[in-house]
Amino acid sequence: MTAVVEVSAPHAGLVAAPRSMLRTVLRRRMGLVGAVMLLIALFVAVFAPLIAPYDPFANVHISITDIYHKPSAAHLLGTDDGGKDVLSSLLYGARVSLLVGFSAALMSLLIGGVIGIVSGYRGGRLGASLMGITDFFLVIPDLALQIVIVAIAGQSLVNIILVIGALGWTTTARVVRAQTLSVRERKFVFRARAIGAGDLHILRRHVFPQVLPLMMANLVLVISLAILSESTLAFVGLGDPTVISWGSMLNFAFSRGAISAGAWWALIPPGMAIVWVVLATTLLGTALEEALNPRLKRHHLEADPHAEADRTRVGPPPPLPTPGVEAPILQVRGLSVEFEVEGGALRAVDDVSFDLHRGETIGLVGESGSGKTTTVLGLLRLLPPGGRTVAGQVFFDGEDLLSLEDAELRAVRWSRLSLVFQGAMNALNPVRQVGDQVAEAIRTHEPQIGKAAAAARATQLLERVGIGRRRGSEYPHTYSGGMRQRAMIALALACNPDVIVADEPTTALDVMIQAQIMELLAGLSRELGMGTILVTHDLGVVASSCDRVLVMYGGRIAEEGPATALFGDPQHPYARLLLASFPDIAHPERELRGIPGTPPRLDDMPFGCPFAPRCPSAFDRCRTERPPDYPIGEGRRAACFLLDPAEARRG
Amino acid sequence: MAEPNRSEPTLVVEGLVKRFPARASLSDLLHRRRIPPVEAVAGVSFSVSGGEVLAIVGESGCGKTTTANLLLGLLPATAGRVLLAGSEVGSMSRRELSRVRRNIQMIFQDPYESLNPRMRIAEIVAEPLRVHGEAGTTVEEAARVREALTQAGMTPPEAYLGRFPFELSGGQRQRVAIAAALTLRPRVLVADEPVSMLDVSIRAEILNLLRALADEHGIAVVMITHDLSTVAAFADRVAVMYLGRIVEHGPTAEVLADPQHPYTRALLSVVPVPDPAARRRPQILAGEAPDPSHMPAGCRFHPRCPVAFDRCRSVDPPLFDVGEKHQAACLLVEGGASRPAPD
Amino acid sequence: MSGRGGYLASKVAWAVVTLFVVITFNFVLFRILPGDPARSVAKDPRLSPAAVVALEERFGLNLPLFVNTTGGSPLDSQYFRYLGSLAHGDMGQSYAYRDKTVSSLIGSALVNTLWLVLPAELLSIVFGVLLGLVAAWRRRTWIDVSALSFSLFLWSLPTFFLGIILLFVGANLFDLPTAGSGTIGAAYASPWDFLLDRGRHLLLPTVTFTLVLLGEYMLIMRSSVIDVFSEDYILTAKAKGLSTFRIIRDHALRNSMLPMVTLIAINLGFTVSGAIQVEEVFSWPGIGALTVEAVAKRDYPVLQGAFLLLAVCVVLANLAAELLYGWLDPRVSEG
Repeated sequence: MTAVVEVSAPHAGLVAAPRSMLRTVLRRRMGLVGAVMLLIALFVAVFAPLIAPYDPFANVHISITDIYHKPSAAHLLGTDDGGKDVLSSLLYGARVSLLVGFSAALMSLLIGGVIGIVSGYRGGRLGASLMGITDFFLVIPDLALQIVIVAIAGQSLVNIILVIGALGWTTTARVVRAQTLSVRERKFVFRARAIGAGDLHILRRHVFPQVLPLMMANLVLVISLAILSESTLAFVGLGDPTVISWGSMLNFAFSRGAISAGAWWALIPPGMAIVWVVLATTLLGTALEEALNPRLKRHHLEADPHAEADRTRVGPPPPLPTPGVEAPILQVRGLSVEFEVEGGALRAVDDVSFDLHRGETIGLVGESGSGKTTTVLGLLRLLPPGGRTVAGQVFFDGEDLLSLEDAELRAVRWSRLSLVFQGAMNALNPVRQVGDQVAEAIRTHEPQIGKAAAAARATQLLERVGIGRRRGSEYPHTYSGGMRQRAMIALALACNPDVIVADEPTTALDVMIQAQIMELLAGLSRELGMGTILVTHDLGVVASSCDRVLVMYGGRIAEEGPATALFGDPQHPYARLLLASFPDIAHPERELRGIPGTPPRLDDMPFGCPFAPRCPSAFDRCRTERPPDYPIGEGRRAACFLLDPAEARRG
Repeated sequence: MAEPNRSEPTLVVEGLVKRFPARASLSDLLHRRRIPPVEAVAGVSFSVSGGEVLAIVGESGCGKTTTANLLLGLLPATAGRVLLAGSEVGSMSRRELSRVRRNIQMIFQDPYESLNPRMRIAEIVAEPLRVHGEAGTTVEEAARVREALTQAGMTPPEAYLGRFPFELSGGQRQRVAIAAALTLRPRVLVADEPVSMLDVSIRAEILNLLRALADEHGIAVVMITHDLSTVAAFADRVAVMYLGRIVEHGPTAEVLADPQHPYTRALLSVVPVPDPAARRRPQILAGEAPDPSHMPAGCRFHPRCPVAFDRCRSVDPPLFDVGEKHQAACLLVEGGASRPAPD
Repeated sequence: MSGRGGYLASKVAWAVVTLFVVITFNFVLFRILPGDPARSVAKDPRLSPAAVVALEERFGLNLPLFVNTTGGSPLDSQYFRYLGSLAHGDMGQSYAYRDKTVSSLIGSALVNTLWLVLPAELLSIVFGVLLGLVAAWRRRTWIDVSALSFSLFLWSLPTFFLGIILLFVGANLFDLPTAGSGTIGAAYASPWDFLLDRGRHLLLPTVTFTLVLLGEYMLIMRSSVIDVFSEDYILTAKAKGLSTFRIIRDHALRNSMLPMVTLIAINLGFTVSGAIQVEEVFSWPGIGALTVEAVAKRDYPVLQGAFLLLAVCVVLANLAAELLYGWLDPRVSEG
């Protein structure tokens, strides 16, 4: 959702800074534990001859008492059925496991990498047939085939490596192909092609560097699979008889009566050794993958540890209604929202207050990162976990939404206060029929309505927004962008709400569709007497459809006023400059001026006025002190020291 | 359209057509239905001279981005010619194409996506030089990279050379993309929605930069956009596209003040104006543009046209002259008479 | 809706093509592998030329491999004979058990393996889905952390080793049977006794199998649920005023099961290799044990038959998964 994007804009699957990857991996506990475990195994493998108490290859004089000797000072892990020291065999076994694991995985990586990159980059017939081969190999039961081939070709270490390597590349090929396919479609590859670069250059400079980290992560996971394969082969008696491996230790102990002898020491250590290296590589590989594909930090249903605090908070009562004037349906007072980040909290919305009356449309305007979406999500208590309202009240028809119990809040939601999301693309459930999703909202809040009646009402609503009777039983993916947005509006109207919040309802739509949607929304809210909050970055849309405008910047409201007054005579320098940078087709001769600099980042918010660094009229006080709201006439206010009567006197 | 008082146009496009084979479904194959190819670009002609900015405007699916890709030679054209500084792009061998292509560079919509996140700014800007074997010595290359960054307004360039794209803001990234396009000293820049992903306060600067490149360096700029209001302040000429065709074409001021095609008129009427006092009557067309695989007969706009009459259903109008350099493809202006806009 | 029909047809066509490739691969594999006893026998220098011819005719070794160009029908070749007998369910005679056909051997082994695999698959899917769901929902709590560690540990356990541990514990502490599918020579007083005996034998292998599968199912389910829970339509459902239970039941479950369906099908290949290990450890007379035995005895017809059966199972399972996926996700089948 936007709120998260506004904090930081992670592009999924993108490696931000190349060198930071290893650090990212090691900073995760998972990755660190895996790396340390793997290093220990490597150390043991390399120095086995130095640390092993006995030489497992030496001929041992066997007496009957040495068989399955219990662990003792001489044999820390006891002896096996041949009287050999288990610990020594165990240490030597690391060599085989890691040797087979690494070499087979490298082989798989080479085969799978080449097949994946070629089939992903080339596509077409070659790509399809390579993919067909890969799919076919996925169908082959590989352990069975490994067994057959090793049994017939001979049980040497080289054969084992070749067989595991030659059959283990399919996952790599699929992963690499998927990544190559997505990189190939990336805009920077397209740009390189537009520059005139050839395939080789694009592969070398753009595709391969993006695929390589993923291949590394995959390599680590394939190592764990190869180690498992080797031990399984050895366990079914197909290991190389000239070397000691953990799988063959288990095979010997198992087939020679260790279980009936109760000799756990001959079974558990080699088994746990396998678990050790497999777990190590799995942890490391998973951490690598997660570092490459960072998921959203939180999801929407995560329990919010601060939810309790919200309910118990007792704030001032709702502002008293002015006699003779209808009370606003929605009153936001001092709303502040913070996002938890590593090592602190970032304030995304700071002390925002406004009123909304029935039948009124207000526009919340601002650029990316201004906090406009976070404001509405905060007042609806729909912040992504990690974000929380730290102060303020939201009085809806006299009741503070922020202190309602969950069940009370659910009852208010949608039936009285609904929402049109930005990008309806993802706001509708892709596997449920559109009409069904509308009917669900109706039935949730009016359970007395029958299924058929709810469905009929859903159809009516959809028809009202121009979606034909039959299309209601279709799925969202068959809709065009404009239709989805209209379906979203029908959904929002399902329960005749008092207030509707539309968050960038027309972004990414064509102007003609935008005009259709805005006309629909305006007509409906007028007709139904709803209060509407329109969140947008488009001043033109605001001018044509809003009664009142709130201009947000850096999480605060810079200026508020009736649309005509604010557009006609903006008082805050930001509002003034923003208007000057917005093109006006009615006055093409007007020169467009941008605002130098960039909007502030949440983690780098200026101390005083958030606009001070870009403001041409900023003075010292703007950098040290937060400007309060100054009333500037009927229903207008602006947060700028230039409007302070004291400054005016001084200036 | 030859302009005697100007030098030869840098970029000339004549009758450009692009058809994509339609995908036949299994049942189509079984029933031996023939699927006509989808015509994304259906005979587009225009020219741009050095120092001039042409805006191609249209809704999504109108073929404007396909046109841009054809200009760059990123897609083979089905028919028509693209002449770049006098030589034809389509008929060239790979090597010639690569030599000519350096003269035409592209700027993409999404500055967050169009820069390789793993490359430093210096590498990104130098890449076109390396691709075309013009990098020269390290010193020469560094000099040209600095020059391009300076031209694109990234001053001082040294402050940005070692950075990665994610360390820059959207506007700065778009400037880097422009700098990279400038290193080869191209004669044509094709900008595909160069500001639509940027914040409003940043847009004007990028547009002014492109305008300055045209004015000061004599580069021909083709801007692809869906936004008529940015065109207004910025382009010399505008071409409005609908379903693969240019339906109106002329000097910006003239087209905006006196649009001749009903589609242009409707499009203009719905552009939001940042002035609540301006009570305009938006002329909202119903429905959406049909997709090019279901092209209507006759005038392609007639099913949505508020002033369509009988002949529109059967006659596909060509561009008629309606002014000195102004044309529109509508039967209503067949005689060339420019009607005053209703109101 | 032609979209849905087309989807169905293309998936079935893919399965048929794959089946043919599998059969052909199987045919070729066992022709190029060295050490086929039939061929070794036929090459024995001590045999009279007439006996060699008779042997070769019996096994069809005198025929060309793929296409008969020497006269007669072009289809009279080893390959097409193989296809022909396959069509009749005839996979030849076992070398090791001279009196048994391959079909009867692998048939009874398959039944035993299904006794093992089906309950284990079912249990691991149910528990894997539940555990993954809870872990994702209660992400970053102790429940999630322990479920995650448990699953990663299970995933790292070699199947046979887990089997050995359970066998060790079961045999030494709980006196459970260590081998076979039933007590040898037991006379059952009632069907109930038979089931009880079978159950005691099934317990350890089933638990082993379930645990081995559980880890991966849980991991995949967890990440799939987290992905779905982060989707905008979940926020829509929340904003609609749905309770968490209803959001999960009506909006999240079906969507997050999608990757699971594919995984379960692909996993059948893994289930087979798991069966080999579990059956080895518990001496369970299933298809895995049969395969290992056939390798040891160079019983090529059985091996070839077992191989084919395993591959066919995986192909069919994949097909079932694709069809199920198409039914669950309208985006796939309607294009």
